[in-house]
Amino acid sequence: MIKKLKQTVSEKFLLIFVIVLTVIFFGSFITMKNKCLFVKNYDPEKINFVNPKNIAILNAYCGNVVIELYPNVSPKSVERFKMLIKSGEYNNIVFHRVIKNVLVQAGDLEFGEKNNLNYTYIGTGKSGYGTIKSELENKFDFKKGTVALARTDQKNTEDSQFFILLQDAPLFEGEYTPVGKVIYGLEVLKKIKYSEKTEYVLRPDFINYFEMLVN
Amino acid sequence: MKFIKIILSILIFISPANANTIFYLIKIPNLEIHSIKSVNGLKYLKAIKPFEVGIRDNNVTCFNSSEEDIEKKLPLIEKNLNRYSAAFLNIINLKYIVLCENLSVSQISAAGVPNSKTKTLVIDIKFNEEHFERVLHHEIFHMINESHKQNFFYEKWKNFNNSEFKYAECSTCSNRLGLSLLKENKGFVTEYSMSTPSEDMAEVFSFIMTNKEKIEDKALIDPILKKKILFIKKNIFKIDENFNFN
Repeated sequence: MIKKLKQTVSEKFLLIFVIVLTVIFFGSFITMKNKCLFVKNYDPEKINFVNPKNIAILNAYCGNVVIELYPNVSPKSVERFKMLIKSGEYNNIVFHRVIKNVLVQAGDLEFGEKNNLNYTYIGTGKSGYGTIKSELENKFDFKKGTVALARTDQKNTEDSQFFILLQDAPLFEGEYTPVGKVIYGLEVLKKIKYSEKTEYVLRPDFINYFEMLVN
Repeated sequence: MKFIKIILSILIFISPANANTIFYLIKIPNLEIHSIKSVNGLKYLKAIKPFEVGIRDNNVTCFNSSEEDIEKKLPLIEKNLNRYSAAFLNIINLKYIVLCENLSVSQISAAGVPNSKTKTLVIDIKFNEEHFERVLHHEIFHMINESHKQNFFYEKWKNFNNSEFKYAECSTCSNRLGLSLLKENKGFVTEYSMSTPSEDMAEVFSFIMTNKEKIEDKALIDPILKKKILFIKKNIFKIDENFNFN
């Protein structure tokens, strides 16, 4: 007759530990492979907007970023931004400057196109439409999610490049021209590929498409 | 040309990635906002760790101060800097005041480091307690001078002095470092004002801002100093006709 052995408490704990470890091990494979797993992808069609004409949708690797544009704050800059969005020129343009938890920058139409990426000059490209004047007169709170036009060291050099803040930057008021704010999907931007050591990323992520909700 | 492009690319690719948004504005690391709601729009920043920027002759280092020291000194700094209107600060490209201590440029102690390109003035909050307030105005003059060089023509200034007098090659190339008001009446307010035309102008300006009556009394018996005071006032009014020296 075989005597049935009863598990001790420590053996039970060990078994639970092994099961948990196995779940974590296999679970991590799924989560590591899919960086977008916990990122909510907003469907703009299911959201009611007060002014849909000022809503732009930027689609990146992990989903949609819904941006509200503020023509009342920076009329000329928003006009330029909308024109570039509507003409589809931001589609397949690289996020060439990504600083973890600080900002993401894109919009180099000259050297940042997916099929024609130029690592030497990236970030210095122009749109071909010329520069526009900075619009800094109106007060604006540069909170996380702010979308603003990038420029060179000099003011009045805004063109097509823009950045989106991932952290509050109150000192940017009066320095950069705001064009809008992310109202949904900031998490999508946090998943854009970045490098721990440099601002510029090798084999970077791209804007899939950027369009106005209402054309 | 290709070589330059490669170097530029390397520089871009090794730029620090963990800096905050303040760094992207004024190119100084390890800063944090202290207060940004001043009456004239100046933004006060503080070092939270020691920082070092620039290379060789432009190497600037400074150390973080305790919160207590900053709180103690800030009212004094604000009292003096609030005398400059927002419009004037805009004209002279000054927006950010960086507060730190043990400030040095190329390992030589300095009271302040102005940079009109980044609209920044770095101030050593522990520099010379006795002359601290006046030194603030001295540094403001450097901001004025840096942004309006054409108004403060050194050759003209040099001609105010006696013909036998020679300034040093640079402000740190001489041992003329005294900051107390001189008793002699040879056109100089302090020993330090004898170092370079730029420092001389800054010293005169700082006395006008902090000890106007005394320096104007001195000018009554010092014709060179009188010319210098007039020169400074005239050119400041050219920059901003509403400037208030009182």
